[in-house]
Amino acid sequence: MVTLFLINWATILQIMEKLLSIETILALIVGTIGGMIIGALPGLSATMGVALLIPVTFGMDPVSGLTMLTAIYTSAIYGGSISAILIHTPGTPASAATALDGYQMTLQGKGMKALGVTTISSMIGGVISAVALLFLAPPLSLISLKFNAPEYFLIAVFGLTIIGSLSAGSMVKGLASGVFGMVIALIGVDILTGYPRYTFGISSLESGISLVPAMIGLFSLSQVMIQVEKMGTKSVKFTGELKGKVLPTMQEFKSIFPTIIRSSFIGIFVGMLPGAGGDIGSWVGYNEAKRFSKHPEKFGTGIIEGVAAPEAANNAVTGGALIPLLTLGIPGSATTAVLLGGLFIQGLIPGRELFTTHANITYSVIFGFIIANFLMGIAGLSAARLLVKVTEVPSSVLAPIIVVFSVVGSYAINNNVFDIYVMLFFGLAGYLMRKTGFHPAPVVLAIILGPLAENGFRQSLILSRGNMLDYFMSRPICLILIALIILSLFSPMILNRFKERQTTKAKEGISTSS
Amino acid sequence: MKKIFLLFIILTLATFMIAGCGGAVEEPKENVQQEQSEAEKQEATPSEDTSYPDKPITVTISYSAGGGTDTGARILLPYVEEILGVPVNVVNRPGGGGWVGWTYLLNQEPDGYTIGYINTPNLMTGYLNPEYNRDKSIDDFDLISNHVLDYGAIAVKADDDRFQTIDDLIEYAKKNDLTATSTGVGSDDHIAALKVNDEVGTKFVAVHGKGAAHGKAGVMGGHIDVLFANVGEATVPHKNGELRVLAVMSPERSEFLPDIPTLEEKGYGKIYSWSARGIAAPKGIDPEKLQVLSDAFAKAMANAEHIKKMNEMGLAVKPLIGDEYYQFLKDDESGVKKVSHLMGW
Repeated sequence: MVTLFLINWATILQIMEKLLSIETILALIVGTIGGMIIGALPGLSATMGVALLIPVTFGMDPVSGLTMLTAIYTSAIYGGSISAILIHTPGTPASAATALDGYQMTLQGKGMKALGVTTISSMIGGVISAVALLFLAPPLSLISLKFNAPEYFLIAVFGLTIIGSLSAGSMVKGLASGVFGMVIALIGVDILTGYPRYTFGISSLESGISLVPAMIGLFSLSQVMIQVEKMGTKSVKFTGELKGKVLPTMQEFKSIFPTIIRSSFIGIFVGMLPGAGGDIGSWVGYNEAKRFSKHPEKFGTGIIEGVAAPEAANNAVTGGALIPLLTLGIPGSATTAVLLGGLFIQGLIPGRELFTTHANITYSVIFGFIIANFLMGIAGLSAARLLVKVTEVPSSVLAPIIVVFSVVGSYAINNNVFDIYVMLFFGLAGYLMRKTGFHPAPVVLAIILGPLAENGFRQSLILSRGNMLDYFMSRPICLILIALIILSLFSPMILNRFKERQTTKAKEGISTSS
Repeated sequence: MKKIFLLFIILTLATFMIAGCGGAVEEPKENVQQEQSEAEKQEATPSEDTSYPDKPITVTISYSAGGGTDTGARILLPYVEEILGVPVNVVNRPGGGGWVGWTYLLNQEPDGYTIGYINTPNLMTGYLNPEYNRDKSIDDFDLISNHVLDYGAIAVKADDDRFQTIDDLIEYAKKNDLTATSTGVGSDDHIAALKVNDEVGTKFVAVHGKGAAHGKAGVMGGHIDVLFANVGEATVPHKNGELRVLAVMSPERSEFLPDIPTLEEKGYGKIYSWSARGIAAPKGIDPEKLQVLSDAFAKAMANAEHIKKMNEMGLAVKPLIGDEYYQFLKDDESGVKKVSHLMGW
């Protein structure tokens, strides 16, 4: 246990010193409030916020820079719910589930309460996940050396199985988007043979498509294009009144508390899955709350559980997603994929060293993250009323701002003009995809996980000296991962059958009792 | 409402300013020194009418900010700036294994205001590999000075009982396949393993991965048998007892690992491996300007403070100028050519 945490009083003092510096405190406040505003604006997601600010952190101290980025991450996901609840336009993809019950509550004049429940659930979810990060990451980093090519390959495959659940609606379209992402990931010099693949003689393509510009294009620029199309029509505006108390009553709080806790743990787990972010976490949280509820039929009509469940889950994803990022260098969500760049800029490489050599930085950032979640709760409860104004910014103002941010952000991350073209290409691609019912999320997932899977597989071929099956079977972590993959592939079918049986049973029950 | 927004905007600006200050603290001092050195220069050379340099100089770096080349350059360049008396700005142009930056550099006017870092052996493998169709070579650059020379090292996991010495390792590897780390096809680590295979008849099989950190983790975790890396990367884990360096691939022992033998002294022949980085200009620069730059860089590299900072990072400073530097790079080129058939080109 002593070696597990490697924290002693001297380290704690150092952490305090780092966290109490003016720079860090300012970074925390700016990150939290800035994140909330970024999140509340449709078209600016948590990923975008982090991508835009990474170049700024270059000149900052590692602790304040990374604390600011993680604060933006969690509060942007919270901020996205404000616009979801009040104007039925999720500010970030992670808030889509919240819009269901949240907007109904607003229509019933309970918008203020919905905001209160959102804030409290987000805060609790975020804090629990940050504490989980504090306690799970150090022991996990101990086994990080046990991870090598075969494990990385299987983790990537496991992450890719999630594409099925990402594709709301058509499974085929989801898989097609995934394949498109994999093809994009092929571009660049093949690391194992040195062969330049699909570069067409352009030097800039040799290092592959950079993730952040592609993501900004797919998520932000394409969103703006969609919004601009609607510009002529009357925009959705919050017209109702916000009255009443923000804080839920003690009784209400008690009724949603189990939901919050359940969703928090779901969120942490989903976050830890490679590539799966807040959007999936919130839907799983919502569905599970519905399943456990005594009155599932009320979901969607504007009840507080329906707001609390996705909200606790999507903020809990943040801490969970940081766990594989810090220990294995595998991003748990799209936003953490961008955060990885922020770590590299500070010269920090994920793995055991983050918890030994750089322990005081890492733990300071984790504690800063916990504080950011509390700060988000306080700021949210006191200023939610004001954040409504953010959603009133007309898209004629917002769209140009986002376009400018997209261009600057794409350029700034590598100081590379080529990345702006990449962003524009993916903006157009994302727009066409949205128009035709494809979802951009699987593309990003595949761009992140494709190379991990490919290199992992081919490196294991060399490591196993051709005897692949035995090699995989002789590694315990591989066996666990294979079991998880099989479970993930077949669980939807099993669950469906289970559900059918349940409903028939329930029907029988009703018929016998009546 | 408005007040809160104003407050927030002020806070944001304040943070950015503080962030900016992190890098800018030294600026006023530099300006003073700049003025001083400018004054000195004017006193020293009053008759000279060609006042090169009289505007900022851009140094391109073909790797991203925060990487090894970038960090080393940012340590050196303030001293160069002091000597030249004009701002020296870093521009990162990463991508294409370094060739995005080098192509850009070669397309610039050879006016002495755009120079850049060149890295071996990535530069050579980039134009020697016919897959890339590149018509550039080392002769398209005018060389200013080498900066860093990092020799290769061979290491195993600290508790790997199979190999106590380099002889154990090589004897074993002659009869058995052993997996070896590499940072990509044509990287110095890959070429090092190929050279040893070629000269001694060992059977090292390269497992190409992304970056030295990946390779180190692979060896420490017991997945890959042997680490082929640079001294700068292997010294810290060796001293921490995570890895055991068995040999270095240099003509003389490394100052950072004085008790580790070289392959040569163990009787395996002149097997050297290194990665080096230095500064070059596009071909055609005025010889006088080149002289000014070479002198400035040579003087800056001799600065004790600079050497100390580089050594703290485990990097050995090795200034080489003129013909000596050219010959050094040509040797590097022929070393790559010698093993190119082993890479399939």
